[in-house]
Amino acid sequence: MAVFEVDQLIKSFKNGEVEEQVLNGIDLRLKEGEITALVGASGSGKSTLLTIAAGLQPASGGEVIFNGKNLTNMKQDDIRKIRAEQFGFIFQSSHLVPFLNVEDQLLLMLDVAGSKLSKKERKNEVARILKLVGMEHRTEAYPASLSGGEKQRIAISRAIIHQPKMLFADEPTASLDSKRSIEVMELIRELTKSLNITTLLVTHEDEMLAYTDKVITMKDGLIEPSA
Amino acid sequence: MKMAWKEIQKNKARFIILGSIVFLVSFLTLIISGLSNGLSQDNAALIKDLPEGTFYLDEEADETYNLSKIDEELESDIIASYEDASALSIQMGFVNDDDDKQLSVAFVTEKEKQLFPKVKEGEVVLDESLQDNGVEVGDIVTNNQLSEELEVIGFVEQQKFSHAPVAFIHPRNYQEMYRVMEMQMVFIPGTDEVASFSGLEAFSNKDFLNTIPSYNAEQLSLNMIVWFLVVISGMLFGIFFYMMNVQKIGLYGILKAIGVKTSELFKMMWTQMIVITVIALGLSIGLTQIFSVIAPDGMPFHLTLATSVQLGLVFVVIGFIGATLSGLQIRKIQPLQAIQQGEV
Repeated sequence: MAVFEVDQLIKSFKNGEVEEQVLNGIDLRLKEGEITALVGASGSGKSTLLTIAAGLQPASGGEVIFNGKNLTNMKQDDIRKIRAEQFGFIFQSSHLVPFLNVEDQLLLMLDVAGSKLSKKERKNEVARILKLVGMEHRTEAYPASLSGGEKQRIAISRAIIHQPKMLFADEPTASLDSKRSIEVMELIRELTKSLNITTLLVTHEDEMLAYTDKVITMKDGLIEPSA
Repeated sequence: MKMAWKEIQKNKARFIILGSIVFLVSFLTLIISGLSNGLSQDNAALIKDLPEGTFYLDEEADETYNLSKIDEELESDIIASYEDASALSIQMGFVNDDDDKQLSVAFVTEKEKQLFPKVKEGEVVLDESLQDNGVEVGDIVTNNQLSEELEVIGFVEQQKFSHAPVAFIHPRNYQEMYRVMEMQMVFIPGTDEVASFSGLEAFSNKDFLNTIPSYNAEQLSLNMIVWFLVVISGMLFGIFFYMMNVQKIGLYGILKAIGVKTSELFKMMWTQMIVITVIALGLSIGLTQIFSVIAPDGMPFHLTLATSVQLGLVFVVIGFIGATLSGLQIRKIQPLQAIQQGEV
C-alpha cells in the first residue's frame, strides 16, 4: 500500500520573462518501508521532486499525498509540523548545528518532534541510536571534531531518532569517499528497514543503488518508463 | 533557550566582544548621565529640592528671575490668601571669610520661612560644601555691601544654585545688600490648581529651572549625548545580530527544514540578547555605583541606583528592538536555501 503519493506534480520557475518547467507531471507511489532511489542526469528534476515531496518548497501544480493528507494545500505551519514529527532529512552535507555536541543534536530533534519521553528516557534513546550507528563513543564531540563519515552518521541518527514515517535523503553520500559511502548506505538501509521507514533518496552514484528497493530514473522533468 | 545558551558557551569570544561593547557604551552612558544629574544638582538643587508648586515672576521681567520685582501689596495679598505661600529672592554674590578670602555664593532669602532654614538678622546658613573651604559654625563672614557681619549658624546638605553654594540670609540683610525692597518671586506649593494674578507670570518648578541661565543648555547637551549613546547601543545590537544572522542563514534554514518554529529562532536570539545585555548592564551599573562613591569631591556626579536601573531597562528595550529588527530576515529564510548552500 502506498504511504506516499505524488500525482501530476508540476514545478516551473520564472527565469526573467521565460517560464521553465522543471517537473512536467510526475506520478509516484512509495510503499511503506521501501527505499526508492531517484536517479538521472543533472537538471533532470530529481532534487526538485525530492524537496517538493518533503514539503520544503511549493509545487506549481499537482498533489503530494502523505497518509491521506494533501501537502500542497496545507498551511506552512501544518507542513512544518509534519516535517518535524513525521519526516526525517539527510542532506548532501551533514548540516549539523555547529555549537551543539552530538548528544544535544539528537536531543534537539526529539524536542522539535515534540517527543513525550522524559528527560532520562530521551538520553537513553540518544544513547541507543548512537550505539546503532556506532557513534556511542563521540557523545560529547562537536561537529568540528568529527570526520565527514562521522558527521553523516550523526545526521542519519538525527533523521531517524524521532522514528519518522518518511526519510528524505538528498545525495547523502556525495561528500564521502567510496568506503564511507557504502558504510553510510548500509546504515541507512539497516535502520530504515528495522524501523519500517519509507525512504526517498536522490543519488548519482550507481554503486549505491544496490542498497535500494526501487530505482526511478528521471529525464527532463519526467519519470522514464522502466526498462 | 538551551540552544541559545549553548551557542554563547561555544562562541564565547563572539559574545564577549558584543558584551564588551554594550558594557562600554552603557558605562559611558551611565557616567554621562551621572554627570548630567550631578551638574543639574549643582546648578539647581535649591529649586529641585522644593516641593512641586508654582513660581510667580513679574510679567515684565521677561522670564528672568533676577529682573523680577513683585509689588509689595500684591505679595502681601497672596501671602494672606495662601497659607503656604512664600516670597523669596535669589542673587549671586560672595562672602569674605575670616582670612578675607572671597567665596562665591548664591544669597537666598525668604520672607515667610516656610521652605528654607530659619535665620535671624546677622546670621547665615551655608551649603555644606563651604566647609571644604575651612568655614565652620560660629565663623564670621562679611560682604562689602553689608554694614554688619554675618555669623555662620549652620550648614545644609546639597543646597546649590547656579553652581554656587547657597547662603540663606535674613530679608533685611538681603535688602541692605541689594538695595531693593521688593522680593523677586512668590512660590505657592501644591499642584492642585494654578492661580493667576494680574501682572505675574506663573512657572512650574520645571519651567522655572529653565529660567536659570545655562541650566537648559547644559542639560540639553548632556541629555542629547545620553540618548545618542542609547540609540547607538540599539543600533549596535541591530548590526551585530544582523551580521550573526547573515552568518547563520544556512543554520536557520536547516533548523526550519527539520521543523524548528521561526518563533523558536527568535526566542533564541532574544535570549542571547537578554543574557548579554543583563551581564553587561549589571557590570556597568555596579561600576558606576562604585564610581559614584569614589568620585572626586569636586566632580558633580550624582546617579541613584533607581536611575541606573531605569536607564538599564531602556537599554534592554532598545537592544530588544535592535535585535528584533535585524532578526526579521529570519522569517524570510527558506529551508531550501540552506540545503543548497552547503555546510553551515
